[in-house]
Amino acid sequence: MKYLIVMVAVVVLAGCGSVRKVETGTNKVGERFSMQLEGPWNHVDFPGIKPGQLWTMEGITVDELIIYAGIKDGQVMHPDNAAQTKKQNVVFRRDMPTEKIVSMFESVMTRDDSVFKLLRIEPSSFAGRKGFLFEFERIRRNDNLRQLGFGYGAVDDGELFALVYVAPALTFFPRHQARVEAIAHSALISPPVGAAAPVAILPPPVRVSIGMPGQRLPAVSTAARAVAIPEPK
Amino acid sequence: MKRRQWLHMGCAVCASLAAGGLLAQGDLDYAPPERLARPDAASDEGGLWAMMDREEKNLRRSGLLLRDEQLNRYIQSLACSLAGEHCGDIRVYLVRTPQFNASMAPNGSMQIWSGLLLRVANEAQLAAVIGHEVGHYLQRHSLARLRDIRDKAALGQVLGLFGIAGLVGQVALNATAFAYQRDHEREADRIGAVLMHRAGYSVEESAKVWDGMLQEMRARDGDGATVSPLFATHPPTPERRDSLSAIAALLPGGSAGTESYLTRVSPFLDDWCEDEVKRHQFSESVALFSRLMVASPVAGLMQCYRAEAYRLRGADGDDERALSDYRLATRDGAPLAKAYRGIGLIERQRHRNSEAAQAFRRYLELSPGAPDAGLIRSYLESA
Amino acid sequence: MSLLIRRYLVVFFLFSALPAVLSPALAQSKNRAPGFSDLAKEASILVMTPDVELYSISAGGVIEPKADWTESAQRHLQASLQTRMTGSQLKVQFLPEEDGDAFAEISALHAAVAQSIALHHLSGGNLKLPTKNDQMDWSLGDAVTPIRQKHGADYALFVWFRDSYASSERKAAMFAMALLGIGISGGIQVGYASLVDLKNGQVLWFNRLLRGTGDLREQAPATETVNALLNDFPAVAAR
Repeated sequence: MKYLIVMVAVVVLAGCGSVRKVETGTNKVGERFSMQLEGPWNHVDFPGIKPGQLWTMEGITVDELIIYAGIKDGQVMHPDNAAQTKKQNVVFRRDMPTEKIVSMFESVMTRDDSVFKLLRIEPSSFAGRKGFLFEFERIRRNDNLRQLGFGYGAVDDGELFALVYVAPALTFFPRHQARVEAIAHSALISPPVGAAAPVAILPPPVRVSIGMPGQRLPAVSTAARAVAIPEPK
Repeated sequence: MKRRQWLHMGCAVCASLAAGGLLAQGDLDYAPPERLARPDAASDEGGLWAMMDREEKNLRRSGLLLRDEQLNRYIQSLACSLAGEHCGDIRVYLVRTPQFNASMAPNGSMQIWSGLLLRVANEAQLAAVIGHEVGHYLQRHSLARLRDIRDKAALGQVLGLFGIAGLVGQVALNATAFAYQRDHEREADRIGAVLMHRAGYSVEESAKVWDGMLQEMRARDGDGATVSPLFATHPPTPERRDSLSAIAALLPGGSAGTESYLTRVSPFLDDWCEDEVKRHQFSESVALFSRLMVASPVAGLMQCYRAEAYRLRGADGDDERALSDYRLATRDGAPLAKAYRGIGLIERQRHRNSEAAQAFRRYLELSPGAPDAGLIRSYLESA
Repeated sequence: MSLLIRRYLVVFFLFSALPAVLSPALAQSKNRAPGFSDLAKEASILVMTPDVELYSISAGGVIEPKADWTESAQRHLQASLQTRMTGSQLKVQFLPEEDGDAFAEISALHAAVAQSIALHHLSGGNLKLPTKNDQMDWSLGDAVTPIRQKHGADYALFVWFRDSYASSERKAAMFAMALLGIGISGGIQVGYASLVDLKNGQVLWFNRLLRGTGDLREQAPATETVNALLNDFPAVAAR
């Protein structure tokens, strides 16, 4: 069953995936979210990563920066669509207090039975709004890799804006931490375009199963196993 | 996950108990075999051991292992009290996973998941599960199963020659494999009961383990077949409870060991309850904590986590249910930091600032270094 | 549904493997870190215990780990690596069994990095990471320091394999489906090897196998597999 999820994710990545360079300077994600980059990043795009946007420095099996630019009330966070599961999906609500938003991220990151330990959660200004920051440790179930991560977020006009970074505790987290912190500190949310602005700018939640950090990562390691080659052995 | 499921299929036989057959006193005079010697490496059993040694090595390296020495010693010694002279051959590994599972490999390495440790109420219930696993080990069921599977695989190859029939054939083969396994489960059940009786535990407790799992599964929407990997191959039945009760009647007496169990595991209950809530399957968690609250010395803690599940589920009326649970859990002034935090969070949502502030203050007093202390302090200041 | 998925995969991996097939000359430089050509003379290399898992694919396409196959693959790989590396002009040592636990996290880290190199660098195409400028520039950093401290080697060789094989039922199903003109998967061998500089963690040389042939369950094909994976392994500097 897990394999199915994984395979769907792999297909998506394989068939339609692409990587785009995110240039130094001002970058806009979605309609209302922007940030300043001191150096370039790689934006890995494939259907299924929505509602987040995935950036990486070392590759998607190593480090992931996930950007949420305006999650709407009632929107599902990385739907868990494995056909046979009856699991409850994780849904964002505009009136969610900070602790519930963080527990929402937590649920997504432990969906594969990875162990997640919250190290810190506190208020922090983010993108010019009153927001929050959280730090965590995670042991990825798929390969036992120990990861460290942190996230920043804020709710503006009922929409969630957030950044979550996760990377191996060895070498990679310390290597890129400052870079990501700088991005977080430069983030800005612009006001909604007029009160009567259309709400449904983002596409509806994509019906492809994908996890946040990690849930999808096994996808690639498993890609190989799930892969098909026409000739039998 | 996959690996573990496979472990169950292929080698370690899982802890589910099957419905018992007719019982006679004679069935209960179980004499364990001599200590199992390491089999010849060239034999099929030797191959099975080598492969399990490798699995054990992976397990030993896992970051998911609970490494607390005291807890490991405690559960190891419980296993020893059941396994008698086989004690030296059995190695217990505690794995942090919020699901109900235990398994034992033929080379003597036994896995117990933290979700199981949370769900058993006392030593006797844990002994029932470990005893059952030891039963599989002593009777070398894995080897029998390996041979069985191999024989059937050969048959499968023949069926495979008929093209698509292979698919149908495979399903049929699986069905016979499960039937075969159920006999093993029945035998392991019986041995487990005898061993726990001899070690001084109340056999009656063993039926309760399964009763509890049934309740939890019913709480799940739909058929609830995946609460635990165990039930993929072994749907629990009311007969199982009856058969265990029948065995218990023949083996009366013994203790439950509730206090001693809870004393040992209490430092970890917080973590395990948290893991449970994080599964985001709140209705199941509510059912679980409701059960664990009954007549338990840790009822307060369990009620507090039931409240957490309600609060996070956030369905209609859940805030009221959560508040009531938090309040009851702390009615004697119990130092349950999380309950005060929960009260504060809900009251804050309802703009009842002074109630929220009072609860937050108590939380910070009890848990000044909590990971979310910064957040709560900010709530307190803005209240 | 799942058939559809597999066909996608077939297409993707064929395409991704294509450039390497078409341009062997390019592949040469593609497998080395910028500026790296030869191994230092008299250098010592530590061969890490291979990380390997074998799977079977059932008629229905369910993929299951096979511990007994994995067990023999482990032995065969170890033996083949011994032969292959002893033939090099390096001082070769093998990681002692008892050190496996201590370096488990580093091995897991290597696997994650190797997968990214394979996906984003060797497969390339539209999955290339623009920030890497088409160079094989990945480093495990000081994570490898404990290995150098313990064993005093200059380099480490990491090997990782995942290999799957069709069951007989699967083969029958494949045959039947082929008659209907539908290709479904048999099994595939994926292997990674990384030569890592223990001074700074840099991945100096990397190779990947991705093919529908190869078998680790028997010694002879396992030797062929190791030789294929290490075919382009860097030579020791002439002087």
